[in-house]
Amino acid sequence: MQPQKLQIKLYTDRATGISPEAFVVVFHGWIKKKLLPELMIDVANYAHVPKGPGVALIGHGNDYFIDEGDGRLGLLYSRKRGAPDAGQRIADAFRRTLYAASLLEGDAALAAGGAKVRFRTDEVQLRVNDRLAAPNDDATFAALKPELDGFCRELFGAPCDITRAGAATSLFTVKIATGVKSDVATLLARLGGAPLADRSLV
Amino acid sequence: MSKDAAKTWKETLGPAIPEAWGREIDIFETQIELRKKGKIEEKLFAETRLRRGAYGQRYDNGQRHDGETTQTLRYPSGEITKGPVTLWDAPGMQRIKIPFGRMTADQLDVLAALAEEYSDRILHVTTRQDFQLHFVHIDDTPDLMRRLAAVGITTREACGNTVRNVTGCPQIGVCQTEAFDTAPYAHAITFFLLGHDDTQNFGRKFKVAFSGCADNPCGLTNFHDVGCIARTRVVDGKEKRGFEYYVGGGLGSVPQNAQLLDDFLPEEELLPMTQAVSRVFARLGEKANRAKARLKFLIKKLGLEEFKRLVLEERATLRPDPRWTAFLSDLHVTDEKPIRPAGALPPGPHAAGFDTWRASNAIAQRQPGYVMATVTLPLGDMTSDQGRGLADIARRFTGDAIRTTVEQNMLLRWVSEADLPALYDALVAIDLGSPGASTIGDIVACPGTDTCKLGISSSRSLAAELSRQLKDSGIADDPNARGLHIKTSGCFNSCGQHHVADLGFLGVSRNVNGRRVPHFQLVVGGQWTKNGGAYGLAIGAVPSKRVPDVVKRLTARYAAEKQPGEGFAAFVTRIGKKTIRAMVEELQILPSYEQDPSYYSDWGDPREYTIDDMGVGECAGEVVPIVEMGLAASEREIFEAQVLLDDGKIKDAVSRAYSAMLEAARSLTREKSPNLSAAPDEVVGEFRKHFYDTQLFFDPYAGGKFAQYLFRAHEEHDNASTVEAAHQLIEEATLFVDAAHQCYTRLGSSLGAPALGAGVGPS
Repeated sequence: MQPQKLQIKLYTDRATGISPEAFVVVFHGWIKKKLLPELMIDVANYAHVPKGPGVALIGHGNDYFIDEGDGRLGLLYSRKRGAPDAGQRIADAFRRTLYAASLLEGDAALAAGGAKVRFRTDEVQLRVNDRLAAPNDDATFAALKPELDGFCRELFGAPCDITRAGAATSLFTVKIATGVKSDVATLLARLGGAPLADRSLV
Repeated sequence: MSKDAAKTWKETLGPAIPEAWGREIDIFETQIELRKKGKIEEKLFAETRLRRGAYGQRYDNGQRHDGETTQTLRYPSGEITKGPVTLWDAPGMQRIKIPFGRMTADQLDVLAALAEEYSDRILHVTTRQDFQLHFVHIDDTPDLMRRLAAVGITTREACGNTVRNVTGCPQIGVCQTEAFDTAPYAHAITFFLLGHDDTQNFGRKFKVAFSGCADNPCGLTNFHDVGCIARTRVVDGKEKRGFEYYVGGGLGSVPQNAQLLDDFLPEEELLPMTQAVSRVFARLGEKANRAKARLKFLIKKLGLEEFKRLVLEERATLRPDPRWTAFLSDLHVTDEKPIRPAGALPPGPHAAGFDTWRASNAIAQRQPGYVMATVTLPLGDMTSDQGRGLADIARRFTGDAIRTTVEQNMLLRWVSEADLPALYDALVAIDLGSPGASTIGDIVACPGTDTCKLGISSSRSLAAELSRQLKDSGIADDPNARGLHIKTSGCFNSCGQHHVADLGFLGVSRNVNGRRVPHFQLVVGGQWTKNGGAYGLAIGAVPSKRVPDVVKRLTARYAAEKQPGEGFAAFVTRIGKKTIRAMVEELQILPSYEQDPSYYSDWGDPREYTIDDMGVGECAGEVVPIVEMGLAASEREIFEAQVLLDDGKIKDAVSRAYSAMLEAARSLTREKSPNLSAAPDEVVGEFRKHFYDTQLFFDPYAGGKFAQYLFRAHEEHDNASTVEAAHQLIEEATLFVDAAHQCYTRLGSSLGAPALGAGVGPS
């Protein structure tokens, strides 16, 4: 099984104290400076909705959210279209997520404004945003788990505990407990650093 | 992997999709493919997708201002467009009609899933009881529509020059003040007018609204093209149902109060009368100048009496339709049954916040022991998770008794009062237990510059800021100010309904110190009650960042000085607009950019303000004459016939080619014979009479040859059972449709074609 519409969420190490609205300026800056190697279009602010998508950086192939969806602040990456070839999709999704996280961790304005963020690497959420291809059930889990096991072992340097989560009506969701205290930069380097230009734009 | 990964939504949903709706969506999907291949003209495709509810969105021209300069958004599809100046890959908005706001828990579940999978996880409720999903790719829309169709929702005619969502009071059926339940009437007119021949050739959109009473605001009939207020009358000792029937209302830049066409339109006349109004509007309404194309302008031009005369004259010519009265035999089609027994509110103490929430958000029903509970949505938004949670709450407490409201909230009906504390707890658990429904803090806002191409200022961010500041300042809880209504629109088009607010705001821009500055025009004195009974007037433009100060200043004075029973409009009249203006004037003066650049950006957007991102609106749709729509449909059917033949489906291919010829013939003939049905014998007979016998269809060189193709196909298409015969029929259908195009070109304006130079594009 090779689902295209993968989502990865990295959690911040601060449960509270940062308003998603602090990221509105950051995301506008990313569009202006073309900091991501893909087409980004707009910023949508949903900070008024509790436990929602927070602030969204809308792109053509991918979206990035400062997300509070499960009541925890994090960076949510979401592939929409133009996914890379099968076999590269999980790695590509992690690479884009980690790259965006590295930009946020290094954002001087956020730090100066008291909103400096660090992302945890000991826990990651992965979802498939496609109920047709990947319903949230044991069959999907069984189909995806071998590839995920292998990928996570390679990325985190140790076997990870991967468990299915969420109701049957939810998107297919797994929690990945890595048991590893690494950092974003190290993991990104293992995947080859900054992602290449989005295939959907080629 | 055991699953069939290649399975599509079409295959998965199968018979759950009503056949006719499924066919419409298949056609739309074919049109998408044809447009990608350049085989459908872009204006025609634009109107086609608008009629499926697929709307444009800000930056879809591929240009976006970053605060300093305009950047080009290089979409992978390159120059392919889905309408004039609208790039294919640019995200769009999908509008989803919810007739009179009535929906089920299962529908809400599907909407939540769609928002998650195709949009940004936000379900947005509009001021006309629709849902809107933003940032949707056009390629995803057919599956999105299929999933909606499988739960009984169509997006057909959600945008474009069509009958838009039929709205209605969300309390109807359980309301204390209604004359009777208008829901079955709104339901009947929705599906009667949907796709009706007489509603396909408008120059502009057409909106219908229902209210159960004259005094309350829930139906807002005063600013609709057709507004129906329930009335009863005793005739020969029996109570008879009917409607106060209004026409020609509308907001927009030139708001008009609806005018009374009939003070008691009997229920059996509701559908035919509206059909007659539609015909007159289609025939005489403005087509070239969209700024003057709404029904209100036609009535203004003709005068109400002449308009009424024409409508009644048209009514007399209508071919009788059994649907006019069939629905009257089952007026319980929209009834709801409570799933919990009626009960009394349990004695307290209750959870923190319950009493405050109950005071503003619970409304007693006509039926003892039951209440309606308003679910307050900030800016009309809820997440997919909240949508699913709300569906589960409905299943637990009320069943499928859910409505959207024109104040961008949700309403749960048939809540047993005994369950109210538990319902509140359940809503709080999904962060939907906010109090203050329909109060000063429950601000209505259109999308504005967030996503709308026409937005000038950020109505949503202003509304969010106002809501926050009113709460922080205590005004939101002041009993004297609490009942006021604030509504914000991003431009003069009034989607936020600012004209009928106590304090309304519409986005404008002003030059200050050589720079563009976002402003809002302040409108005071509108009337929300009486179905939006009176429109406020503009006082002056205020810089966006000063609007909260203006609101706090005006509301504080009103709260302090209001006389018993005095509404805000009366207060404005008493103290005078000059006084109001004086209170605002000093807030209109801005510091220079160098002193404080924050005034030169809008709320919620750090970019320096510009109006360079404004595009051409699609609200008006593309004026494509109905003949052209029909001929395009014929061409699409010929294409489909070819595909069917390639797949070896000879019988289906023959049938589709024949259908293409009928569609083309009907498109032309309907201009001569407005009552024409879709029955093949009638279409061919009338075509012969109007176009063959008169030789109007004759080709200058080939004479009546192409018409003969139709006549032969009509007689013999059942006999075409070989590949060769099917192939020949497809060829003949192609020639016939081409001849229909030529005929249309030759006859021009007599068949509804726009005059040369009149322009049918955006203006």
